[in-house]
Amino acid sequence: MLVSWKYRPRNTFIQRLDPRSRLIFLACVILSLTIPNIWDIRLIFPLFLLTLTLYLLAQIEWKDVRRAWLFIFFLIFFIVGLNGMLSGRGGPTSVMNDTSAPLFTLPVYFPGTTWGFSLEITLVRIVFAITQMTRMLSMAILALPLPYTMDPNIYGVAFRKMGVSDKVSFTMDLAFRFLPTLARDLSITIDAQRARGYEMDSLKGGIVARLRRLAPLIVPVTMQSTVTGEEVIDAMDLRAFGTAPRTWLKDLHFARRDYLFIALGVSIFVAFCVLKWGFGIGEFWIPPALVAGLN
Amino acid sequence: MENKGLWAFGTRQVVYGAIGAALYGAFSLLTNLVPLPAAGNITFRPAVAVLIFFGIAYGPWVGLLAGFIGNTLGDMLAGWGFYWNWSLGNALMGMIPGLAMLMITNYRNKIDIAKAIGWGAAGVAVGMMVASLTEMMVGGIDLNTALVGYFTPAFIGNLVVIVILLPILMVAFAAVNARRGR
Repeated sequence: MLVSWKYRPRNTFIQRLDPRSRLIFLACVILSLTIPNIWDIRLIFPLFLLTLTLYLLAQIEWKDVRRAWLFIFFLIFFIVGLNGMLSGRGGPTSVMNDTSAPLFTLPVYFPGTTWGFSLEITLVRIVFAITQMTRMLSMAILALPLPYTMDPNIYGVAFRKMGVSDKVSFTMDLAFRFLPTLARDLSITIDAQRARGYEMDSLKGGIVARLRRLAPLIVPVTMQSTVTGEEVIDAMDLRAFGTAPRTWLKDLHFARRDYLFIALGVSIFVAFCVLKWGFGIGEFWIPPALVAGLN
Repeated sequence: MENKGLWAFGTRQVVYGAIGAALYGAFSLLTNLVPLPAAGNITFRPAVAVLIFFGIAYGPWVGLLAGFIGNTLGDMLAGWGFYWNWSLGNALMGMIPGLAMLMITNYRNKIDIAKAIGWGAAGVAVGMMVASLTEMMVGGIDLNTALVGYFTPAFIGNLVVIVILLPILMVAFAAVNARRGR
């Protein structure tokens, strides 16, 4: 059985937009940050405010997205943010090779021993962690509402109308539909294995033992999905899938607001590229006032 | 409509490409919180074994689509955004083992399992190398960081995953197929 995302029709500006314009805008925002490789908080923060506004316009109920947000906050603040602050990981070369004087040192030693090391926290890494978190949040809050605000029936036609072939569009359509189903199967399998005494979070054993411990989760879900796949193939073959050019039940039409929305996305992308490659703005930036305050 | 050709692209490839992508996305989402030591923003992904398995079992198109769409879905939903070069690397990582689909017929046979691991390792090497080297263009890193900071941990991490989990998946698949009579 297919489980759908918690999609609900709402009379909001975001849901009145054509799905293609939303996907193109999302692509523009992500590409604006990743293609010219923007690390300047002065460019990232206004973009974050824009994407936050769009998220709020979607009017998604908190109870629907609470779990997703907890996951994103944990990932962004505790994993990415702390990693960025402690090691500069994932940053541009200027942050990775940071040799500035530390603001303070964090000793990390096993209790009662001299085994361990000291972590040097620098201003560069703190600013980088804030920049990295804002950058990731800007993309996450734009992608997160998609499953809650986009009718699952129009994923396929949206990709088809963007020039992707029928079969690849249908693959994407099915992938979006299968994801919540398989995520639910995974969650049920975790609960079922825990009821049998399975300890997912146990830290015993090395990497090999931990990987082997994942097998009771990965194997049942993967094998069940291969069986489900055969049933879906039979159903699609019975309906002669792929024997002739496909027609789609729903049709999509751009409105004026869609052209304006796409124009906004493309403008952001072009502006970021011009700023980075034309004017050299967009590299990792630290507010001079902060640097001056330290000297 | 059984189509067994290596490069066939029919209903089977569409459905298993989608299932592979969704599985890769869902499992990646589960483990996207575990970064690899010494790496940049590279996470530990046991899901790679599932991607390689789908390539081996259903061919290069399925591996390619599952890798590209699955990586994109997992990254987007976890808030990493869309990194085209890593999605391309994951697509290659799924596609290359798929080239061995016709060579691997017995999923219990040790030689066939060894072949699958070998092709999987080749897929991981090529996919992660392409992604790491293109990161020089996308992320502005130098060659040393690309090879030591990105490629090496990603390659070793994924290799360990496929050596341990791929044989388990293959043996389980053989049992499922035997029970289904396919």
